[in-house]
Amino acid sequence: MAFLELINVQKSFAQTAAVRDVNLQVERGEFVSFLGPSGCGKTTTLRMVAGFEHPTSGQIVIDSVDVTGKPPNQRNIGMVFQSYALFPNMNVAQNIGFGLKVAGKDGQETKRRVNEMLALIKLETLGNRYPYQLSGGQQQRVALARALAIRPQLLLLDEPLSALDAKIRVSLRNEIRAIQRQLGITTIYVTHDQEEALSLSDRVVVMNEGRMEQIGTPFEIYNFPQSTFVASFVGTLNTLPATLVDASQGHLRAAGHDLYTAQPITNAASGQQVKLALRPEQLRLSQTGEAENTLPGTVESIAFLGSIVRISIRVAESTLVLDEFNHPHLTLPAVGAPVTLYFPRAACLVLP
Amino acid sequence: MSSIRRVSFWSWLWLLLGALYFLLPLYGTFDFSLRATRGTLSLTAYTNALTDPEFLRTFTFSLRMAVITIVASILLIVPTAYWVHLRLPHLRPLIEFITLLPFVIPAIVLVFGVIKLYSRPVAVAGIDVVPPLTNSVLGTNVLLVGGYVVLALPYMYRAVDTGLRSMDVRTLTEAAQSLGANWLTILVRVILPNLRTALLSGALLTFATVIGELTLATFLARPAFGPYLALLGNHKTYEPSALAIISFGITWAAMGVIQAISRGNTGQFAAGR
Repeated sequence: MAFLELINVQKSFAQTAAVRDVNLQVERGEFVSFLGPSGCGKTTTLRMVAGFEHPTSGQIVIDSVDVTGKPPNQRNIGMVFQSYALFPNMNVAQNIGFGLKVAGKDGQETKRRVNEMLALIKLETLGNRYPYQLSGGQQQRVALARALAIRPQLLLLDEPLSALDAKIRVSLRNEIRAIQRQLGITTIYVTHDQEEALSLSDRVVVMNEGRMEQIGTPFEIYNFPQSTFVASFVGTLNTLPATLVDASQGHLRAAGHDLYTAQPITNAASGQQVKLALRPEQLRLSQTGEAENTLPGTVESIAFLGSIVRISIRVAESTLVLDEFNHPHLTLPAVGAPVTLYFPRAACLVLP
Repeated sequence: MSSIRRVSFWSWLWLLLGALYFLLPLYGTFDFSLRATRGTLSLTAYTNALTDPEFLRTFTFSLRMAVITIVASILLIVPTAYWVHLRLPHLRPLIEFITLLPFVIPAIVLVFGVIKLYSRPVAVAGIDVVPPLTNSVLGTNVLLVGGYVVLALPYMYRAVDTGLRSMDVRTLTEAAQSLGANWLTILVRVILPNLRTALLSGALLTFATVIGELTLATFLARPAFGPYLALLGNHKTYEPSALAIISFGITWAAMGVIQAISRGNTGQFAAGR
């Protein structure tokens, strides 16, 4: 049996359904991210697991115990908030020890556990500082330590890195993942940042308009999106209008050219108008030797993004984006030059 | 450049006129209070006022009432304002209206209403739930404190409301709940400590209100400081001026304390948002 189960969970505010029919099983020790745009219901779902919102219908079960009606202070859940939510009147050590004091642990045990947590987050010398004396990254680490100090059965993080700058975000997310692995604690992480979700998670739940669009490993979500929304939300995606000529042969016609997929197409019928979706990193300006599709186009613009060079190419009425890894000997076409795009059959995603 | 000079001149002019309007009468009162001994400036009026046994008796009585009023106000207003912030924000306009009523209803109306209602038993569904309060000292003191709580309500509520707005009440509450805290623990260990400055402001304003209050204490016949000051004004010449200056001094000192503590705590309590 799964450690955390959400069974037909729904949540409505007045007449608006914020979360619709969410069913999810999370195994013990798993790191699962809820990913989606603002307003998709990911935070509402997390808050229902925490007990801050009551589901309109459905059940939430943690370690075989139905906690649907339990108040948040009886669920033994650690939560890390976007705004850190450190208690301003307490120093770092007091913040971390708060949950232990509330639980009635004695002074020695509290002190030992607080020191353990300070060592875990590598802030051993800052126990006497107050939150206003810490940087954003330090505050978030203290918030994490405070949530973990009570040995929660579940760790919930609600966009914990959104308020931090990019470099701190990258280093802190790696720290969070390392700590989670070390402790083996079941974790639910809410984010709108796909890089965070893909790099941290064992599995990702992509949500849209209150529904779960797809659940899978980061590899599955990125390479095998099951809907247009998932395909376009996760990673950059090129789309080209196409006509499905023969679904069983994977034969399409787009921009006046015949193209082929690696597998037969099962999500659309022959003769149907579909979208051909291609990832930028799958497109090439030269042959690679695989069985390939080709499309002619014209270079519209070239953008240097550091490690990636992004080339925009006009193909018929659409613009496709191609990503090349940057290196000193890279040869780039001129803007306005005619080019041929090459991409393997396996790169073709057909969306309804 | 010339337009900047013109604005600066008018600002200074109005500031000066305002200051004179306020400070000149104060100076006149202070000067008068130093002339109790003919032909010389002295602190005789101050000495006479402060060594009067009635001064000590009425001041300590009003001080006790002020402390009880402050505690009662905090116990009433803090949980109410907290709950409104957390769960009932749509009721905030109604609560704010209620807290402004003491400015509209004169104290004389309040005290006569209180006397009329509580001079006989208060019955609900035929059962006496409150005995007559005006025929005992304790009962009358309870009425006095109740009246003071009403008069100080706008100040204390506004102070607490401002304090709650400066912190993220909802997230701090949820953080505490996630760590196992119940409502009482949250109020006592998270909310109240972060309202220290606001409560101090409210407490000092409540103190100033109670110490100088005249109407309630007079009609409830309690030995408070306000009636003592009024009586002194009818029988003495220089001592009332001396006490007026002392009252101003205490009020300004209280404001200074509030300012000093507010400034010092701004950085400390900015976190948590």
